[in-house]
Amino acid sequence: MKKRLGIISLFVILFIAFITIWNYSYQIGLEEAYIPIENNSNVYAIPSESGVFKRSEHAMDYENMPVDKNHQRSLTTYYKNRAYHGAPPSIPHAVDEQQNMGGQSCLKCHENGGFTEKFQAYAPVTPHPELVSCKQCHVEQNTQTLFKSGNYAHVAAPEVGVNNALLGSPPMIPHQIQLRENCLSCHAGPSAPKEIRVSHPERVNCRQCHVPSTKEMTEVGTFKRAGNEE
Amino acid sequence: MPIKSYLAHPQEGKKEDLIKALSELKECEVMPATNEDVLVVVTDTLDDASEDILKEKIEKIDSLKLLAMVSGFNSPQN
Amino acid sequence: MYNSLSSRRSFIKKMAKLSAMTAAATMFPGILFASEQEAGIPDSANLDWKKGPCRFCGVGCGILVGVDQGKAVAVKGDPNCSVNKGLLCVKGYHQIMCTQAKDRLTHALVKKNGRYVQTPINEALDIVANKMKETIEKHGKDSVAMYTSGQSTIPEGYVASKLMKGAIGTNNLDCNARLCMASAVAGFLTTFGADEPMGCYEDIDHADYFITWGNNMAEMHPVLFSRMLEQKNRRGAKIIDFATRTTRSSTASNKSILFEPQTDLAVANAICYEIINNGWVNKSFVENHVNFSKGLTNMGYGVEDKYNFKDKPTKIDFEAYKKFLEDYTPEKVAKYSKVSVKDIKYLAAIYGDPNKKVVSYWCMGMNQHTRGTWMNNLVYNIHLLTGKISQPGNGPFSLTGQPSACGTAREVGTFTHKLPKGVVTNEKHRRLAAKIWKVPYERIPAKPTYHATEMFRAVDRGDIKFIWTQVTNPLVSLPKTSRYRPGMEKDSCFVVVSDVFPTPTSDVADVILPASWHIEKSGLYGNSERRTQHWDKMVEGPGETTPDAWMTIEIAKRMGYGDLFPYSEENHVEEIYNEYRQFHEGAKHGMAPLEVLKKESGAIWPYVDGKSTQWRFNAKYDPACSNDKDFHFYGKPDGKAVIWQRPYEPAAESPDTEYPFWLNTGRVIEHWHTGSMTRRIPVLHKAMPEAYVEFHPDDAKKLGVRNGEKIKVSSRRGSCVLPASINERGLPTRGQVFVPFFDENMLINDVTLDAFCPISKEPDYKKCAVKVEKA
Repeated sequence: MKKRLGIISLFVILFIAFITIWNYSYQIGLEEAYIPIENNSNVYAIPSESGVFKRSEHAMDYENMPVDKNHQRSLTTYYKNRAYHGAPPSIPHAVDEQQNMGGQSCLKCHENGGFTEKFQAYAPVTPHPELVSCKQCHVEQNTQTLFKSGNYAHVAAPEVGVNNALLGSPPMIPHQIQLRENCLSCHAGPSAPKEIRVSHPERVNCRQCHVPSTKEMTEVGTFKRAGNEE
Repeated sequence: MPIKSYLAHPQEGKKEDLIKALSELKECEVMPATNEDVLVVVTDTLDDASEDILKEKIEKIDSLKLLAMVSGFNSPQN
Repeated sequence: MYNSLSSRRSFIKKMAKLSAMTAAATMFPGILFASEQEAGIPDSANLDWKKGPCRFCGVGCGILVGVDQGKAVAVKGDPNCSVNKGLLCVKGYHQIMCTQAKDRLTHALVKKNGRYVQTPINEALDIVANKMKETIEKHGKDSVAMYTSGQSTIPEGYVASKLMKGAIGTNNLDCNARLCMASAVAGFLTTFGADEPMGCYEDIDHADYFITWGNNMAEMHPVLFSRMLEQKNRRGAKIIDFATRTTRSSTASNKSILFEPQTDLAVANAICYEIINNGWVNKSFVENHVNFSKGLTNMGYGVEDKYNFKDKPTKIDFEAYKKFLEDYTPEKVAKYSKVSVKDIKYLAAIYGDPNKKVVSYWCMGMNQHTRGTWMNNLVYNIHLLTGKISQPGNGPFSLTGQPSACGTAREVGTFTHKLPKGVVTNEKHRRLAAKIWKVPYERIPAKPTYHATEMFRAVDRGDIKFIWTQVTNPLVSLPKTSRYRPGMEKDSCFVVVSDVFPTPTSDVADVILPASWHIEKSGLYGNSERRTQHWDKMVEGPGETTPDAWMTIEIAKRMGYGDLFPYSEENHVEEIYNEYRQFHEGAKHGMAPLEVLKKESGAIWPYVDGKSTQWRFNAKYDPACSNDKDFHFYGKPDGKAVIWQRPYEPAAESPDTEYPFWLNTGRVIEHWHTGSMTRRIPVLHKAMPEAYVEFHPDDAKKLGVRNGEKIKVSSRRGSCVLPASINERGLPTRGQVFVPFFDENMLINDVTLDAFCPISKEPDYKKCAVKVEKA
């Protein structure tokens, strides 16, 4: 009897030891598998300075250009051409030269713009002519039908006339400017949508007065002093 | 339909008088410089004859010292 | 400016108008058409537009503040102001928004048992005056000090000087302009014997070349930079950017030339070598108007307490100077400056071409330099050798960072060695001050005491037992705050801080006095081009906020000096200015009468016979010239300017194996100096919410640093953690990191070194050695 009790208690001890060790190693295993997620979400990116003064050599021409009211774009048509604001616009016309890169085809019209008889419109000017593989991001619209329809989210686009902090103060930039650091390409000249065409293209240092608003990215609150929460 | 632009120099101390006199002519658009004694004048007349009459009128103004034409355009179509 | 044109006809009309305006501009450079400017501004509501200068930098733009029912609601550029012609920068347009910040100081706060207790202003002023009096009685006059600002108005600086030097009788008065302008002052005084630029902003309309020395004008002096860009686009003027960091200004320039920190001294000498070697010297100008001198070398860097230095000038001749320059051939200098021989020769050729008009601009890059005075001298050398000075479109021009660094700090003289006219060491100057102030002449001490850095060292040592700071935030802006913050926290010194907002400096105060902001008081500023600007009070300040000048006067009265300060509360600005004008009477520095300043958007001194003097020392423009020659440098007894022989010497601290990077500090367009105002303007804070540390992409790659990653920057003094920024706002050269100093939550000045120029005593914020690691 004593011997049997001894064997049972030995097994019980072994069993408890096994449970404990198993639990412990399980916990350890869990810990190792845990990869801390870096809290990088609130990184604020200062917009790049590349392209700030690009096209500024044309500023005087823009200033002296008359406005052609019959052939100007509006913000509505501008937004219509892209899935959401900031998305690469699609190509709204047929493209003949399917195998050419930007330099030989698209840039002929879209580097500096100008009136095109065929489309009765001014060609929009690209803000990034250095990226010549245009069709990497910009594609044609060859059909109006869909493969399957879906519930596409709608993103509210920035509006004009509501972006200044004070009466008559220069409006903030209400959109991100990555790949669009060059303001004049979209905001000046005959191809600029009429609502956002700047009245003073000759002032080429745009960000002297217009600074980006962060509403679209991580919204930055008002200034708080460290250790002085109130 | 000639359009011409001039620089008008007033007699010493007569800048205000000249602005006033020129502003009274309806074919003239006047833009005085803030910190110099000189005015930009743009004239817009129907034809060469009325252009000549206007020029005579301007040159008769007492407060005007010198009128120098800078540019002239003629657009018969419209 | 294109308005929508309905027909071809109106287009032609516009073209006609434009060509006339262009013609007018060639005949009268700097001509203004205000009506054309105003056409573009919407005429909104029933606003009452009031005239004044901008609160921020030393450019001194004219602003119009729109007031609606006693509240400031809008700001626009003043089209009638020749400085900015209707244009401002993003800070200027939004400046009034800071007054609405929630944590505005509206009442006096007195520290009692470790807590701030709201106190009626009269009681708080009693406490301050009693403490000041008691300290003087117990420890002597030199135990109390005042530290003011290049943002103080002219009346504010004037009463501070009168109180300290005239009433109390101590030279313990210095100001934050020591941190930004002192080297420029010392440069002007050593070369010309008279402070402040000889030219004016109108030079921009005439120059063919703009050469900017370590100066990111696109961000720091944006309105002037826009005027330069306009000339670049309209006339083909060229901008050459000479710097240690690629910035927005470099991008806009025709050419950007980078150099290794501190080697600007050598490059400037190399330019002079080339000018002489190629026979580009303007011989008759040099013969008639220039002397040659050398001073002491190996001066040290002032890092130790109570450091003292006095230069000993010795006259030399042209041959000796020429011989000295042989060490600075472009080939020799190219080796350590990392500027190519070709680029050095290119710069020299621009200065040397007699048919090209050249303006040199600089600001903190040259001034915040342990050899700042030398560097200023060296650029003057270039302009003197070629005779390109004091003429429209030709000249050296030192820019200022504070709205009244010239008007108040330099002209009123709120430095320890200065008086409203001249210096304390000169008996004639002391006698004049005593006469106008109506104090016994013996009361003004003849010996200067503490310059800014040394003043805070004295606080730390316990030598100064009472300090009052006005309109400034030294615990963010001083170098090596890691020493001076604990120093000011010590019980040995009673700290009074007058400010508009709480700052790290007011955090250590025993008494906080609530100051009126800019447009809540009347005042006068003086900008970089010697333009004096006046404004009238536009709105009421909140609570018990009081103008700084009036608080100083109240303290003086409470200390028993009431008879020296007989000004009225309503009219003290006018009364003080009229008293102050007596100091500068005469053709060399006459100030415009107040009636003129009220009417016009500022006037440039010397104001003689109802006219501003735009180009000093040039007989054609300056009525003070009296030697019957074309130029007269009347600041010097013999009427000649000095070309100084100044060598290259290394920085106070250079990178080594332990601390392998240069640390450069500076500013960004969105924030102004320590950010106490601009960070409370939502538009600006949102555009630039925090400081960052900039890397060259190659360095970042080597260190494995990603954009936004937290980086610890540390030096032998202290450390600071900031997010990394790679190829965003600016691009430092390899081996250099850059940090803006506006962020009180990331105090980079805990890291910087308090080495200074031995002549000007201005600290070098642009060069010290640091290491960087992931935090």
